[in-house]
Amino acid sequence: MNTKVETTSFYSGEKLGFHRKKREKKPKAKIHWTVGLVITYVFLVFMLVIYLAPLLWTFMVSFKTNAEIFTSPFTPPRILQLGNYIVAWTAGHLGSATLNSFAVSVITLALSMFLGATISFALGIMRWKGQTAVLTYFMMGMMIPVHCVLIPLFTRFAHMGLSNTLTGIIIPYLTFSLPTVIFIMTGFFKSLPHELIESACIDGANIYQIFWKIAVPLARTGFFVTGMMTFIANWNELLLAMVFISDDEKKTLPVALSKFVGPYNTNYSQMFAAIVLAIIPTIVVYCCFSNQIVDGLTAGAVKG
Amino acid sequence: MEKLLRNKKAIALFLGPGLVLFTLVLFIPILQSIYYSFCDYNALTPPKWIGLQNYKELMKDETMGIALKNSMFFLIFSCVSQLVMGLVLAGLVTNIPKGRNLFKNVIYLPCVLSSAALGLLWMFIFSPKLGINQLLAKFGIQGPLWLMDTKGFIILPMWVVGFVSLWQYVGQSMMLYMAQISGIDKSLYEASYIDGCTKTQTFRHITLPLLKPMVGTAMSLNAIGSLKFFDLIYNMTEGGPNHKTEVLATHLYTQGFKYFKYGYASAIGVVLLVLCLVCTFVIQKLFKDDNL
Repeated sequence: MNTKVETTSFYSGEKLGFHRKKREKKPKAKIHWTVGLVITYVFLVFMLVIYLAPLLWTFMVSFKTNAEIFTSPFTPPRILQLGNYIVAWTAGHLGSATLNSFAVSVITLALSMFLGATISFALGIMRWKGQTAVLTYFMMGMMIPVHCVLIPLFTRFAHMGLSNTLTGIIIPYLTFSLPTVIFIMTGFFKSLPHELIESACIDGANIYQIFWKIAVPLARTGFFVTGMMTFIANWNELLLAMVFISDDEKKTLPVALSKFVGPYNTNYSQMFAAIVLAIIPTIVVYCCFSNQIVDGLTAGAVKG
Repeated sequence: MEKLLRNKKAIALFLGPGLVLFTLVLFIPILQSIYYSFCDYNALTPPKWIGLQNYKELMKDETMGIALKNSMFFLIFSCVSQLVMGLVLAGLVTNIPKGRNLFKNVIYLPCVLSSAALGLLWMFIFSPKLGINQLLAKFGIQGPLWLMDTKGFIILPMWVVGFVSLWQYVGQSMMLYMAQISGIDKSLYEASYIDGCTKTQTFRHITLPLLKPMVGTAMSLNAIGSLKFFDLIYNMTEGGPNHKTEVLATHLYTQGFKYFKYGYASAIGVVLLVLCLVCTFVIQKLFKDDNL
């Protein structure tokens, strides 16, 4: 997490698979099976089992009755108990929680993209004294854990009537998402070819037009990467939402889930159904765009 | 052109909202938090200056000792295990001829899932009568109480949670190393092949040294992440049994939002903040200064 901003264009579209060319058909190279390669594959398949088995097992037992989980945990369910899902969805408030999480994540995403873009534009493209100092000030947020500001924020928001509202969690989410966005986007703007901005100047564009018509469209890849990081982080956030929200109807997904699945609940299959409901949206999206997501998040982490 | 890029009004407009937000939501609360840590402050009374009293109590607090020990354990465990497993997986997955994307994507999957949900999922798998223990029972083995055992210096539940966090986040380390490996000049490998190096030698003498800067990045991500560790512990053990698996973040949560001891919780927060800053600083010094 160094604050040095490199000027290489790491985020060229190809790296993220946007302009990926149709894969050329390679002449089918015969795999040369050596002992080492076989051991490698055995090990990797074993890893695959460790990764998928818990998820698949949860999925399977979520369709069983509570008694079945204890008597025959590893056989497929006799009758699909869809009722588990209905109970989890309604009694666990998972429906409203999903909506809340979605609203919070999307609003935070939009705001952080907009603010991040304007700030990074001022830091990366415009020229003035004290840029490094301001960038460092924003970077502070990457090193400070959210736990440290929980108590002052909580008491302050309680005074302002913001506790127990979704706005009350959007504001800190936005603040803690921005440093990474600013860091990556500033690097991105700095790597843009200077001639583009020069020629826009000559054509008589003003600074806002340069921002909106030149810099922002060119930084699409950067928005994609940082937007995804922001969305995933806020979609999964637990601590802050748990502290700030107490009404059942306003809870976000991780909070509602943690509350429904707990020591006071005794119906295991319903709890398993709730877990499945909570992670299935992410899994579906991940399955569709896994390559872009993995590469994008990695690109973000490399910079962050 | 120069004049355009030095437009003061535009700069103020672009930076203003962000600076105000940061100052109000981050900078002032941090100062407040430090101030509160020197105060007697709870939900009912306003803060009253008591000097170092909170920190003195922290030193005597047994749970704080456990929390600090556990957080340190996580810090070391996750740095070491992620480094080793991340490198091994990255090395293996880049060198297989087929199925690279499949392995990569599956191992990365838990990174994007909610650690709250995964914590609950593993809590069931390691619970006394479900999951692993049911599997072990098939072979006639009586499984241990994975999340409730309290024997030893580092108790079993901590290793279990450590394993789950490794399971969840090793994909990220792996991907970081893979990104770095794919950036290494192919001609270096060709040269080593011509010189007759084995694959292991190539990995040891070419790949590893060139990965060093990335080790720094990955490690500081792991270190900060493991200090902030909350979701998994909260959902798997809730700090129990008897506060034996408490970490700094859960201790702060319990003191601040269950007992409403704001001043005391702020002091824990300050300890956490200092640890994070020290970690970032040390790792940067160790890995970042050369060859970047």
